[in-house]
Amino acid sequence: MTQQQDQTIKSRPMTGPLEGIPLPDLDRLPDYERGFWEATHNNELRIQKCSACEMFRHLPTPMCPHCHSLEYLWTRVSGKGVVYSFVVVRNPVHPAIREKDQVPYNISLIELEEQEGLRVCSNVLNIAPEDIYVNMPVQVTFMPTVDEPNVVLPLFVPSK
Amino acid sequence: MTTNSADVNGIRDKAAIIGIGETEFSFDSGRSELQLASEAIKAACDDAGISPHDIDGLVRYEMDTNLETMVVQSLGIKNLRHWESVSYGGGAGNAVVGHAAAAISAGYCNYVVCFRAANLRSQLRLGQARNPSRIAGGQGVFAAPFGSMAPAHQFSLFVRRYMHEYGATSEHFGWVAVTLREHASRNPRALRRTPITLDDHQNSRMVVDPLHLLDICQENDGAAAIVMTTPDRAKNLRHADTLTLVEAAAQGSGPLNEGVIYRPDIAMSESVNTARDLWARANLGPKDMDALMFYDHFTPFCLFNLEAYGFVPFGEAKDFVQGGHNIRFDGMLPTNTHGGNHSEAYIHGLTHTQEAVRLIRGTSTAQPPNKTINRVLSCSSVAQLSAAVIIRRG
Repeated sequence: MTQQQDQTIKSRPMTGPLEGIPLPDLDRLPDYERGFWEATHNNELRIQKCSACEMFRHLPTPMCPHCHSLEYLWTRVSGKGVVYSFVVVRNPVHPAIREKDQVPYNISLIELEEQEGLRVCSNVLNIAPEDIYVNMPVQVTFMPTVDEPNVVLPLFVPSK
Repeated sequence: MTTNSADVNGIRDKAAIIGIGETEFSFDSGRSELQLASEAIKAACDDAGISPHDIDGLVRYEMDTNLETMVVQSLGIKNLRHWESVSYGGGAGNAVVGHAAAAISAGYCNYVVCFRAANLRSQLRLGQARNPSRIAGGQGVFAAPFGSMAPAHQFSLFVRRYMHEYGATSEHFGWVAVTLREHASRNPRALRRTPITLDDHQNSRMVVDPLHLLDICQENDGAAAIVMTTPDRAKNLRHADTLTLVEAAAQGSGPLNEGVIYRPDIAMSESVNTARDLWARANLGPKDMDALMFYDHFTPFCLFNLEAYGFVPFGEAKDFVQGGHNIRFDGMLPTNTHGGNHSEAYIHGLTHTQEAVRLIRGTSTAQPPNKTINRVLSCSSVAQLSAAVIIRRG
């Protein structure tokens, strides 16, 4: 049995945002993207919802890809969801990840409970990467980044 | 009844591949990307038996740093009548061949070249994060802050979901790696020729779980080129004995790179649409193919493509690749007989079409024994972008 397969040796959980990596420049984001980050700054997860057909969408777009309306509302969601897919990065490809010894970390795709196929990219905290699984229930939490405290990331923790 | 325009095959057998050429592949070419392009195009012209001065059409990769004007200047092209570029890197693989065939079919030019030349190891490495510290908008804003900064990150999200839905395991991907390396071990052009075992694959460093190091294509320097003309002209050129025709081509695009992880079914690549169009245009199916060249940026894409193009039902590719027998050069479906991006060289898919030509000519270093290769499917799926061509013996 190889070391990677040995489930008895577990990696450390993530406890907060990664440091030193690219972040949104809030002043330069287009309006249809800025609302997401304005909401997380208030510790709320808000997703674009079309005012005409009422479909949620993420990634944000200026036009509804379903009915082509330009009207939308940043609509608050529960922050509850499941892990749709996840990966564990063990090889650092960014200098700050390497220099600050931030591997391993997980990248997780969270499917939100409001709509099938409505997903956000994030990290799952407080759990060894070996214990994350597809369909694991999670709940959003909010943490400011170290590098730019105005940028608050929506992160997820395992649900009770 | 109105015919679906997507099913009309306007290029069928109207373009012949008359020459293929490449530079040596390396981890540090020591020369400019323009020189690499010039050398590969010259080599393809030599193989065809024409002069670079005869070229009057170019199809480049949008990602290539060599613009048409630079190539015209370097090769002394007299009258470039037609040029175009196909977007992206690996996503343009095979698509450039389809575009070039269309240009010949339309009569826009007489001799068209597709090429890709890049120092993807000694200069810009696509596998490394190269994002700025602040992002002013776009898909990266919603992924990079969470550490998704390289192709392997987003593609691994596909792979994990695929494994979940279809029960494929890392060992299935390992059999692809072992087989590609075995093919490369016979190929003097290949950068990585030392055979590997399934244990070597399983024990190789985990880069982005579920992908091991030996699931991921190498990064290297080099260039490749393909030259085409009409079948009539081809009959008077060097490879007149083996006419190699482009029988059909197709392309498909999904949403943005990162955007693709938000669509309804991420475990199924865009190739499903491309495959439908390709088979309809060609009026052929997977059973008509004698070999498969697939774009192997990551080994799991072997399984994705086997299913998307209908060689096996969804969920059964893992059984098909198990043990490697079926995809070996002497197996039921010889696959990436050159060793692919994985072990030969990573030239954004152009080497795959070149290998299809070699198989038709009977000059592959892993030529299937006791089997005439009449048709080869060369396809690329970068998940959200896909393209395919059928290369056939004329």
